[in-house]
Order: sequence, then C-alpha cells, then structure tokens
Amino acid sequence: MLLKRKHLDYALAGLLLLLPAVLLRSSLREPADQNGFDRAVLRISSPLQAAASWVVGGLGDLFSDYVWLVNVEDENDELRATNIRLREELGQLRGAAADLAILEELVDLKRSTQAETAAAHVIASSINSHFRVNRIRIDRGDTQVEVGMPVISAEGLVGRILHSYGTHSDVLLVADPQSSVDVVIEETGGRGLLKGVASDDAYFCEIEYLEQGKAVRVGDKVKTSGLGKHFPEGLLVGEIASVDSARHGLYQKVTVKPAVDFSSLDTVLILLAPPPPSDPARAQNQQSKSAHGVEPF
Amino acid sequence: MRLAAQIVVAYFLLLLLSAVWRLFPWSELVPDIAVLIAAYLGLTAREQAAPSVASAVFIGYLADLLFGTPVGLIALISGLTCTACHLIQGRLLVRGSVFTTVFSGLVALAAGLFTILVRSFAGLLPPGWAGELGTLALSVVITGLLGPIVFRTCRFVDSRFARTRRERDAAASGMIG
Repeated sequence: MLLKRKHLDYALAGLLLLLPAVLLRSSLREPADQNGFDRAVLRISSPLQAAASWVVGGLGDLFSDYVWLVNVEDENDELRATNIRLREELGQLRGAAADLAILEELVDLKRSTQAETAAAHVIASSINSHFRVNRIRIDRGDTQVEVGMPVISAEGLVGRILHSYGTHSDVLLVADPQSSVDVVIEETGGRGLLKGVASDDAYFCEIEYLEQGKAVRVGDKVKTSGLGKHFPEGLLVGEIASVDSARHGLYQKVTVKPAVDFSSLDTVLILLAPPPPSDPARAQNQQSKSAHGVEPF
Repeated sequence: MRLAAQIVVAYFLLLLLSAVWRLFPWSELVPDIAVLIAAYLGLTAREQAAPSVASAVFIGYLADLLFGTPVGLIALISGLTCTACHLIQGRLLVRGSVFTTVFSGLVALAAGLFTILVRSFAGLLPPGWAGELGTLALSVVITGLLGPIVFRTCRFVDSRFARTRRERDAAASGMIG
C-alpha cells in the first residue's frame, strides 16, 4: 500500500513535470501568447516591481549622494583653487592681449609715420579733482628725448615734451591752456592757432586767429600746419566741435574736439625728427635722418 | 500551508530580484533563486514529492513570468531540480554555510547546463560557446554565494509553520526532512 502510494506520488510528480515541458514547447513556438493567469500575475506584479525598484533606486541614490557629499568638500577646495588660478591666468592673458593690441596699433602707426619715432609708455598723468588730465608722464628721459618733441598716438596729435628729467618726461597735451599749435582746417585751408581750454568736464581747444572769410563747419578736420617748426605738417589734431559765426570781428571763434582720448592713453610715439619733405622719387618708407642729435631706439 | 507560504516568499524574492537586480553593475548575472528554492523544497519534502514538485513548478512558472524567460523553462528546471533533490534527500544533509554554498553552486551549474541544452534544442543558442560558459560559471558563483541566504529564509518560513518547538528548532537548523 505504501509502495503503491509512493509510485502514485512519483507518477503525479512526473505528470507535473510534463506540464512545464508542454508549456515550454508552446511558449517557444508562440512567445507572445499569454493566458489569463499570466496577465493577472503580471498585472499584480508590475506595481509591486515598480515600488520595489523605486525604493531600492532611491536608497541607491541616497547612498551615492552620501558618498558624493563626503568627497564634495575636498572637491570644492580643489575647484576654488583652480578657479583662483584660472582667474589670475585670465587676467594676465587679458592684459597681454590688451598690450598686444596697443603694440599692434603702435607698430601700424610707426609704419605709417615717415618721421623717426620712439615709442613710450604712459606711466602717469596729472591728477586733479577739479580739472581733467592735461599732462601725462612717459618713460623716456632726457637722454632719449628733448623738450619740444611732438608726441603722437594712433588717433592723432597728443602734445609735446614739456619737461625731461632722468628717465621720464612730461608731455604737455594740446588741450592744456599752455599749449599752442599752428593748425590748418583741412576743408577750407584756413589757418589759426590752436590753444587748450581749461575745462573740468571735457577736453576742448579753441582756434584763435581764424579769419572770418573762410567759413568752417562742424566736423571739419583740424591738422597741424607745419609752421612754427614744433610739429610736422599734416598731423590730425581734432575736428571742429562748434562755430561761433555771430561773433563780430576779424576772426572766427571755433572750438575743437581733440582726436585723441587723453584719458585712455597707454602708449605714444615721440617724433624724434620731422618727416622728410615729400619726394615721389624716393622710396615711400624711407625715413629722415635723426635730429637734435638723438638716435632712435 | 507551509508550501503556500514558501511560494509567497519565493514570489516576493523573485519580485524583488526582478525589480532591483538591474540596478547593480553585475545585473547580467542573475542568480537562480527559483531553482534554489525548488532544491530546498525537494530536500525538505516529507512523505510525498508531488506537492513539493507542484510548488517548485509553480515558483518556476512565476519566475518565467517575472524574468521574461520562455514560459515553462524555469518551471521545468525547478520541477526537475526539486525531484532530483527529493530523490537524494535521504543521502544528503545540507547544513553549514560552506556546504550550502557548494551545493547551491552545483544546483546552479546543473540548471545552467540544462538551460543551455534546452536552448540548443530550441535553436536559441548563439554560435559562440565560450561566452555562455563564462556567464554560466559566474552565475554558478553568484548563486552559490546567495544559497545560504535563500536556504536560511526558507528555513525561517518552515520554522514558522512548525507544530512543536522541536520541529521549529529542527527546521531552523536545516534538519527538517
């Protein structure tokens, strides 16, 4: 009886094993087939799987965040140090780029100027709370430049050497009231004497002795005339800013806005000698011989 | 009732495995939890094998549904494992972590080889065998490592359904059978 039950048990187990074998055969033939029980099991299981995945995923994220936070302080310190270093490098590179731009500008100016020139850096300017900067200091001394030499920039005439001492010189700007430059109006050919105006809110000059007959207009270019031998001919000084035509008398009263922005000057050129007289037969870039006994550097 | 509880526990273990195993970096190596539980049911079947085999087949069937394997594959392997373990239960006592690990690994190896056999019959085996054998080896290792935990869980369930304290102690220590 016991043996019979045991055989029956094994037979039943064998039959139970046949069931998955049949299912497997059917499933391999038609993998997409699902019965109601399959669908019910999956319908119940799916939200449970999602919940389990969410919980375990959240725990995993929490663990990852914790591990990340442990290292974040060191990482922050490192990033701060890197940031400071990069900022310093950026500042240096910006400065170098600005210097390069100035130098390029200066090289262009030097090439376009036929006169013998020497470059100089502006190292200081007169500071006064009530007046605008009217004088600047450059890093060329009495062994290199002489009093009265014209100073120019890429924009135009800056002024002339006022004092020279040691390794530095002061430049009198054309906007200074002490400055006087013989100028000519390019459009009309009218000539006059450009004098600086002591203004506390803008750089301005006035032209004295400009005859009434040659009417000028706002925007006309003002250039050096070459008379007086202080400045070579044709340097741009500025443009007419206003004209007082109602004024009676022999001369017009006009104001000139200088072409150079004196407040942002960084590098200038000093004309060591005037340019040679124009001669088409000579090479265009040939430069003049040194004057005042000063050799270019 | 004991077998129903084992099925429920197995279901939740499989559910958890199917949901979270993908989050681990070694997610391609899935331990054969269903087969391990089937082996346990075969080892601990009392007078009759059929209820344990039925439970093992059902657990395998659930695993097929949850893992997305062809329906009947894990069910068949679980049923065969349960039957085989039932046949050797009188000659084998699975106790201790080391032996349980080795035994679980052997069960996983047999199940893996049978799976490869079925896949080859069904024409589902890829041409390269080396990769399959490598995966099988790693799967054997990971199933072996998880074996003691699975067996302990099953013993815990069994101890909950013990009628006497002696039975409970025996179940908890793996002496039931």
